[in-house]
Formats: sequence, C-alpha cells, structure tokens
Amino acid sequence: MTAYVIRRIWQMIPTIFGVILLIFLLFNWVGGDPAQVLAGKISNPDQIANIRRQLGVDQPYWYQLWVFVKQVFTFDFGRSWSTNEEVSHILLTRVGPTLTIMVPVLVIETSLAVLLAIGVAYVRGTLKDRSIMIVCTVAMSISFLVYIIVFQWLFGFILGWFPVQGWSESFWKNLGTYAPLPIMLAVFVGLAPELRLYRSFFLDEINQDYVRTARAKGVPEKRVMMKHVLRNAMIPILTNVAIYLPGVFVGSFLLEVFFSIPGLGREVVTAVNRSDFPVIKAVTVYLAVITMVINLLVDVMYKFVDPRVSFK
Amino acid sequence: MSAVLKNPPAARPQESPGLWMLAWRRLRQDRVGMVSLVIVVFFLLMMVASYTGLIAKDWSKERGVSYANPSFLAGAENLEAKAMAQKEAAKAPTVDLSDIDPLAPRYKEWAERAAKIAVTETKRSETLPFGGDKWGRDVLQKTIKGSEVSIFVGLTGALLAMFIGTVFGALAGYVGGRVNDFFEWFYNIFTSIPYILLILSFAAVATATGKFGKGIVPIVAILSLTGWTGIYRLMRAEYIKHVNREYVQAAKAIGASNLSRMFRHILPNVSHVALVQLSQNTVQFIKAEVILSFLGFGVPVDMVSWGTMLAEAQNELVIGKWWQLAAAGAAMAILVTAFSILTDSLRDALDPKLK
Amino acid sequence: MSDNRSDPGLRRGDSAQHLLLQVQDLDVAFRVERKGEPFRAVKGISFDIGRNRTVALVGESGSGKSVSAMAILGLLPDNAIVSPQSRILYEGRDLLKASMGELQAIRGKDISVIFQEPMTSLNPVFTVGEQIAEVLRLHMGLGVRAAHARAIELLNEVGIPSPQLRVNSYPHEMSGGQQQRVMIAMAIACEPKLLIADEPTTALDVTIQKQILDLVAGLQSRHNMSVLFITHDLGVVGEIADDVVVMQNGEIQEQGTVRDIFERPQHAYTKALLACRPRLDRRPKRLPVIDDFMRGQGPVHIEERRRGTSPADAIILEVKDLTKTFFLKEGLFGKRAVPAVQQVSFRLPKGKTIGLVGESGSGKTTVGLTVMRLHEATGGQVLFEGKDLLALTEREMMAYRRRIQIIFQNPYASLNPRFTVGQILVEPMKIHGIGANEKERVEHAFHLLKRVGLPEASFYKYPHEFSGGQRQRIAIARCLTMKPDVLICDESVSALDVSVQAQVLNLLQDLQDEYKLSYIFISHDLAVVKYISDRVMVMNQGRIVEMADSDEIYRQPREEYTRKLLSSIPKGLEKAADLTE
Repeated sequence: MTAYVIRRIWQMIPTIFGVILLIFLLFNWVGGDPAQVLAGKISNPDQIANIRRQLGVDQPYWYQLWVFVKQVFTFDFGRSWSTNEEVSHILLTRVGPTLTIMVPVLVIETSLAVLLAIGVAYVRGTLKDRSIMIVCTVAMSISFLVYIIVFQWLFGFILGWFPVQGWSESFWKNLGTYAPLPIMLAVFVGLAPELRLYRSFFLDEINQDYVRTARAKGVPEKRVMMKHVLRNAMIPILTNVAIYLPGVFVGSFLLEVFFSIPGLGREVVTAVNRSDFPVIKAVTVYLAVITMVINLLVDVMYKFVDPRVSFK
Repeated sequence: MSAVLKNPPAARPQESPGLWMLAWRRLRQDRVGMVSLVIVVFFLLMMVASYTGLIAKDWSKERGVSYANPSFLAGAENLEAKAMAQKEAAKAPTVDLSDIDPLAPRYKEWAERAAKIAVTETKRSETLPFGGDKWGRDVLQKTIKGSEVSIFVGLTGALLAMFIGTVFGALAGYVGGRVNDFFEWFYNIFTSIPYILLILSFAAVATATGKFGKGIVPIVAILSLTGWTGIYRLMRAEYIKHVNREYVQAAKAIGASNLSRMFRHILPNVSHVALVQLSQNTVQFIKAEVILSFLGFGVPVDMVSWGTMLAEAQNELVIGKWWQLAAAGAAMAILVTAFSILTDSLRDALDPKLK
Repeated sequence: MSDNRSDPGLRRGDSAQHLLLQVQDLDVAFRVERKGEPFRAVKGISFDIGRNRTVALVGESGSGKSVSAMAILGLLPDNAIVSPQSRILYEGRDLLKASMGELQAIRGKDISVIFQEPMTSLNPVFTVGEQIAEVLRLHMGLGVRAAHARAIELLNEVGIPSPQLRVNSYPHEMSGGQQQRVMIAMAIACEPKLLIADEPTTALDVTIQKQILDLVAGLQSRHNMSVLFITHDLGVVGEIADDVVVMQNGEIQEQGTVRDIFERPQHAYTKALLACRPRLDRRPKRLPVIDDFMRGQGPVHIEERRRGTSPADAIILEVKDLTKTFFLKEGLFGKRAVPAVQQVSFRLPKGKTIGLVGESGSGKTTVGLTVMRLHEATGGQVLFEGKDLLALTEREMMAYRRRIQIIFQNPYASLNPRFTVGQILVEPMKIHGIGANEKERVEHAFHLLKRVGLPEASFYKYPHEFSGGQRQRIAIARCLTMKPDVLICDESVSALDVSVQAQVLNLLQDLQDEYKLSYIFISHDLAVVKYISDRVMVMNQGRIVEMADSDEIYRQPREEYTRKLLSSIPKGLEKAADLTE
C-alpha cells in the first residue's frame, strides 16, 4: 500500500503544477498589470508601485511564475490588495467560521438523506415514492437565492426565532445562535438532490443478482435492505460524500454573504468584487491541494469499504 | 441451402424506426415528459419572441410608479409611490428670481415654443400586470426578458461545454495513450479546484479586465470553460467502452479510417448520452447564471436576468413588496422543473438497453 | 450417478408420496409497457418433481424454463403476473398462495437455488464464510461460531481446498468454478429437499462444468435431494437427469423419463433438438435443422462428410511463431507481462477449415485478432500469398484487409446499432471500391442478403429488429461483400441456440463449398469444432498443445490436456444414440 500512496503522490505533482500554471495564466497573464486592474480601486500610487514590484510585473513571465511558485510553497502571498491584511492570516482566520457551518451541514444532511433514501427505496413504485420524488424535483428547481431570501425573512424577520445576520467571537455562541438558521437552510436545500441521488443508488443495488440470492436464501426483506443493500450502497454514497468534502472548506459563499458570516466563501466573493487577486489565487491553489489530498485519503479508505479494490 | 424465409417479390423501402424515432415514440407515451417538453418549448419560443423584440421590448421603460402594485392588488396601499411623488413635488421651490435671472425674459418665449411641440409624456400608471420594481419597471416584462437572457446564457454555455467536452472526451477515450494522459491531466487540474472557486476566479479576471468580451459573452465563456468537465468524463467513458466493441473492431477489419470510426461509427451511438448531459448542463448553468448575476458577476447591469431581479428582490421583501421575487422565482422554478423532468424522460426514452 | 435411471420409475399419476413438488397450470405473464399487452412467458404448464429424482428442464432461450423455476420460490421480478389458476403444491401447500413469511421459511431451507452467474450472485462485500453462515444462522439457529465452523465443513464438502483459509475470502478472489461451489455450499447448507439449479454451468469452462456436474450428482445421492436442473444442453441432460421436461415458447412440448425422451422422442421439437447438435461420433454433410422436423420430414440418413488435410494441399495462410504479450501496470513503476499467445505456428490449406480449440484464457481469440491485425502482435509472421502481413504499414495493409475477414462472437455487438443493414453492407464496398456505382453496390447487397437466407427488405431495417441468428447472417453477408479468401470465425455460433447454430453452420459450410473459402474456426465447443474442421489445434495458456486432423485428434489424443478436454464433454447425446441403435 505504501507503494500505492507514493505513486499517487508522485502523480499529484504534475497536477499541482498544472493548477499553479492555470492560476498564473489566468491572473497574471490574462489578468495583466495590477495597475490597470486596480485603477480606480486603490488611489495610492505608491501602493500600486509596491504591488507591481512584488509581483515582478516588469520582469519576463517565467520570473513572475517563479515568484508565484515561491509564494505557494512559502505560504506567503503578501498582502491583500484592498485591506492590506496578510493573505495567510486571512486564510487561517476565515476557515473557522466556514467549518462551523459546513461540518454540521455535511453530517446532518448525509445522515438524513441516507435514512430517507432507504425509506423511499423500500416503498419504491408506490404513490408515496412518486410524490416524494416530485416534491424533490420541484424543490430542486427553486433557486437557492429564493430559499435564503424567504427563510431569512420568515424565520429571522417575521418570526424572530433567529438573528437575521451576525457572528460572534465565541464558538459556542456561534453554534447555538448564529449558525442554526444557515445550517437549517443548507440542509433543507441540499436534501432534495441528495435524496434523489441516494435513492437511485439504492435502487441500483436492489436490482443486482446478489439481492435475488439473499431472497432465495429466505432472508426477510427488511434485512435484505438494511444489511445487504445498504452495505453495498455505502460505496457510491461515500464516493459522493468524498466529492463534497473539499467544498466544505469553501463553504456556501451565498450563506456567508447573506448572513454576514466571516468565512472563506464570503472572503472570496468580496475579493472578486474588489479585484483582490492575491486572496483569490491563494485560496484557489490551497484548496486545490486540499482537494487532491482528500481524494487520496478517500481512495485509501476505499480499501476498507470495498473489498474488490486492490492497490496496483 | 438452409434458407429459412421466402423472399418478397419486390423490396419496398419501408419506414424502419431508427433510434430517434423509437425514442420519440417512447417519449410520446410518457405523459409527464410530454408536458415538460411543451413547457420547455413554450419558454424557448418566448425566448425567441423576446429576442426579436416581439414582446417585452420596453422592459426598461419606467412605466409605473415606484413599486407599482400588481393589477390584482390594485387597491392596496403604495406608500413608496406616495413618498416619491411627494419628494418630486417638494423638489421645485417656487421662488421668483426674474429680477436677478438674466434668462428670465426668454422663459415665456420658450414655454410657448415648447407647447407647440407635441411631447407625449407618459403618465406613470398606478398598477402594472404583475407589479413594478423600485423604478416602476414592469415586472412581467422583466421576467420575460430575464427568461430570454437566463435561458440563452444557459443554453449557449451548455452547447459550448458539450462541444468542448465531447471533442476532448472522444480524443482521450479513442486514441488513448499519451493523448489520454494529457487530457486527464487537464481534467484533473480543472476538477481539483472546487467548482465555485473556479467560476469565481474566472469571474474575477473577467470583471477586473475586459478581456473576456462584453455583454453576455463573459458569462457564457466562464460557464463553458469551467463546465465541460462533466461531459468530458462521460464521453471519454463511452468512447472507451465502445472502442472495444465488436462493431468498431469490425469497422477496423473492413478498413474504415480512424476518423470514420470515431465520428461516423461511434458518435451516433453515444450522442444520446451527450443530449441528456446537455439538458442537465443547461439547468445547471441557468442556476449558476442566476447566482452569478445576483452577485454582480453575471450579466452586465444594463441587462436583466432572473439573477438581477432576485438581487433587487432581496431588499423589497422587507418592505412587503414580494412580486418581483415571486415572478422571477416562479418562472425559474417552472422552467427548471420542466427541464429536469424532461431530462429524466429523455434518458428513459433513449434507454439503450432496449437495443 | 443416480441409480434410478433404470427404474421404470416415476410417471405422472403415481401416488403423491413419491412426488415432492407439483406444478399445475403455471401461467406467468410480464407487464412490459404500461398500456401494452402483457407478454406471456409461461402458458399453463404442468409437471412434477419426484423425491430423489433429477428433473431436467430443457429449452432454448425464451422457452420460459427459468421463469417457471423462479416461480416456485416466488423469485419473479415485480412486473410478473401469475395467473390465479396456477398452483405449485409442496407438502400440501400451494406455494403461490403462501404468505411471505411462509415462503421465507422454505427458501434456503427446504428449497434452495443456485444461479447461472456466480460472480454477481454472491454479495461482493461480505466474505464467503459470512454468506454461508447467514443461511445457517437464519434457518438452523446456529450461533456465530458454530455457523462459521459448519461453513468450513461445507466448503470442504464441495471441494474447496484449504477451507479454513478460504472461508474468509471475498467472492472476487475466487475463480468462477470456486464461486459456483460456494453457491452450492450455501444452497445445501440446510439439507434442502429440492435444489433448483438454473443453468449453473453455462458460464463455466467445459472441464469445470464436468466437476460441478459430478459434485451436484454426488451431493444429490448423499443428501437424498431432488434436483431441478435447467439447461439448454441436451448432452448434459443425458448425463445427469432422470426425468426430462422439454419446453418451447412457454409450453411443454414433451416430458418423460430420460430414456423415453432419448429413445422414443415423440414431438418434432424434441426430435429436432436431439438431432441438431453436432455429435462426436458422426459428421453428416448437413446438420438437420428444426424446420426439417417441424415440417414432418424425419431425420434422413445423410451421408457423411470426410474431412482431413494432406501435405499436397495448397497453403493460403501460414502463421509462424506468432506471439502476443500484454503489458499491465504493476507496482510502483513496473509492468507485468502477460503472455497471451506464445509461438503459435500453423498452416491453413485453401478451401479447408482449421479449428482452434481451448478454454477461456487459452489465447485462441487473441490469435484470431492478431492475425487480422486488430491487435498488434509482439512477434512472429503471418504469411499471406508470400507477404508478411504483420510487417506491412497500415496503408499497405488496406489492400489485404478485404482478403481476410472476421465474424465475431456476439451477434448483438458486432453490428452498429445506428446503421441500417443496407449501410452496414454497402460501407465495406465503398471503402474497397467494389462496384462501379451506388446502384451496383445495392444490387450486390440484395444478392448477398438472399444468399444468406434473409429477405431483401432487411436492407432497410436496423439490427435490433433481427434475432441473434439473423444478425450473424448479416455479419457473414458483410464479410462476403468483399469476396474474402480467409474467414476467421471467432466463437461465431457460441452465443446461438442449438437450432440456430445448426442453420448458421450449414450456411458456413455451403459458402465454403461454393466460394472455396478457407476458415479458421475458433471455439471452446469441441463437438462443433470436430464437425466443421478438417484440422484441429488445441491451445492451452497461449501455446499449441496438440495439432492433428480432426478425426485423428478425437480418436487418438496424444497429449494429456487434450484427453482431459475430450473427457469433459457431456456425452449424453452419444449415450442416447447408443440406446436407439
């Protein structure tokens, strides 16, 4: 297995370099001279000159690329073009609030989706099944924005159960007061597509030959679902969760924007508004690396979930 | 000879159902699918009509009073409109400055001349069919125009993405080897970056510089350049599956060229996958465009889309003006639901297992 | 083998004590589309299963045999409709009317099933031991450890080596034959009274098939079980069955003891099934086909065809030291070499057939594909009219492509589903410049369709409108458009029903007689290969084990592997033939 891990890490290197290259091409080459980008946004000419010097704008491109690569590996992207805060500091402080929201969302949503999907798969074909699926389809077609606007208005403004916006310094206060509404919202909206997807996973498994064998052995239908089918369906379900795992770090930027949560997502949106390139570049590159690492961990974990997987 | 069947006297060309005809027949039997198809076609027609100016041409004209009520709520209070009217009225101070004003003697002359020119000044109406926004623009017309923009962006973006993804996927799956390695590397780069971040990165550069073009070109470019990965994955898998199928081997055996095998033989067998994915991507891109426009990175400010309408609607709800939210939200919900159901029905109708 | 075969034995109407299960008026239909007519798969059949008897349920694909068997335990899919008059009587109860709880108590305990595809029938995420233990704990109330121990015993009984180690293996870690043994272990764990075996050996190699059949027979006598054996292979039936039920299109055409059926077949269909299959001991000029019987013409005694090669034959194709190695990635940076074909040499005489025989993994298919350059060979030469085809560039190869053609195994995959038959036939003509204009090409296509026995109207149809046998004919016609010299038949009849197989073999033989074609006939089916080949090559693990004229190799096999292969063939038909003559 160590050979497998080493080979995977070896394979990750060209991809990481590719990501760096892509971001560089996008921001430094297409994006061009910071002077033009920031014209009208920063009035201080010295500041602009500073930035230009740091990036090496007047140097040939390969030098600029080298600067960027250095930045990535030393974790030092300089300072934000708009707030002048150190980019690394920005990244580290904003991750916390994002995770405070997203981790509970992931856990609650996945568990609920699996439970409901089993239930729906059990009664497949009946009116209950079809009506739930129709509700899901319609629910999925309403924009997330509409949900946020309505929920905020309903629960925060009208009913006053939760504060409409805000964040505090204390973790527990956040979890108890400020987080519940956004978490509830995210779970509510995310449930419909996941339920549909997981239901299809369960149905795929139910049609397999080994289910017929289990029934032929006299295994009662409930046990067929909960033991035989569930165990097999967990494989695609875990694949699905693994795909969403990196997204946990970015968070739902819409939620953060609407609820004024100082998380990574909101930070990126603000940066886009202000053309604050260093922040965007840093977040993008590091999240790409995190994604690759998570993928590797998940693939290794697969061995314990799916016995058919072998490492070559 | 082991002949089993007798030959008919003359061979007449018959209507033999190919894949698409069979799929169409199956789709026709799916009632829900047909309804969705009708709805989607309706929206598409509306889009064309709006584009050619048949309807919703004057969406940006401020025809109504501020926050005009919808026709079905004609009698309701409109405090904002009253406040605006009062503000306007309060604007003109009646002070006679004729003794210090050098132009004073000419006013009367100009007023007479102006009265001769017939100017149609539209009086702002109190109500609009589905209400008005803050500037008195007709919400109904905005919704129609917004549909045009959102659907057009979604559809063209999806078509472009499908084209890119199919070509890349076909090459990677069919040729394999180093070509495959290159495309896989490319694909990995794009998928290592979380989708939202990728879009926002492109959006950042697009809005900061003008280098992606003007109007709706940037957002279409952003969506297609970031959204091709899904179809790439599918088409590559399909091509890999089909390359080893016996009918392709047979084509090689009779001497068909590589290009012929890739596009004459295999493509017709996998195009249904592309179609379903196109449908899905359109939905996905419409949703994405709405969010991007909401944040201000989507369509430019002089255009309207469902996203810009929702952006305005956010603050309107607090003061009780819900019609823009309802109109945009409902229109989008109907279209997306219909499209999603259509996608599922298409997939069922094209089910290749029946072959 | 069961001793009951000579027993004048059980006929219908015997007292119910001897009967374990009675199927009466079974009628099963499937709801295919929402509005359409349901498809009747089984049309009111009745048969009995006696105690300690092996009943073979025989039929071709679509006969309804599997459906009937699955109905016994209520294992039909959701869209199945069983008619209310149908009854399946077991120990005084009608299983069709039993509650789910009652059925579940019987399944796996009194009546168990083994299926055709053991790989997919076993749950991939549980160990073999866990799956066997499950049925023990469910029905016999054994605890975890006791069940585990018993599972090891059962694995031993079914012939799995090192059972105490294998009990913790996962299904994908075992071969097809071993997986099937595990299925059997699961099925007999609770000492059932009836074992339903749904084509359990169809997916296995012939040597493994023999082992499994012996195992089932042994278990049957030791445990006093009845067996309901579903198969399409009459050879197997002759070897293991006591009673036979012959089905066609959802109806029973004939039933009786194996002796009755083989000695005195009454129904035309039964007679046809018995006669169509190529036998090892004779070689008629034409194989009888079902139509001959259905029209009332009995098996005419057809003269035999002599086959064989002589050193004076003109050689059209010579293969020298053909080698093909596949390279798989392994380890950190390494590659593993898998030698699929090693140093294969042979000569194909003009107008004759060389049979290439072997089990799965022997490399026989790879030989065919490599000769055609559909795979690139690693070494060796393929000499055609003096030129080494492997050394040509792709462009030079084009001139030779039309001279050597191939017919694949899977009739459902070898024709492009999106092309009409006409397009399929005309394309090769266009590529090779055959025919001066479109009109000529279309005429030629019509002519060929007639030649292979299909109506001209087929030109405008799509492949999915044809049956398997008809699609193979289209594939043959496609090859003929180019007027090839050599035809490689890669398991071309293996996926076809027996009756259709006979028709296609006859067609191939007619074409060889008429056009002097030379064939390389690749198959795992020894009887078919002997029938159609002049010379036979036996392959094992990439090498040629033995090569001789066909009569000689079957009469006097020299190598051990060849002997093992020949002894594994079910000889039911030959034994039956002995009875009649």
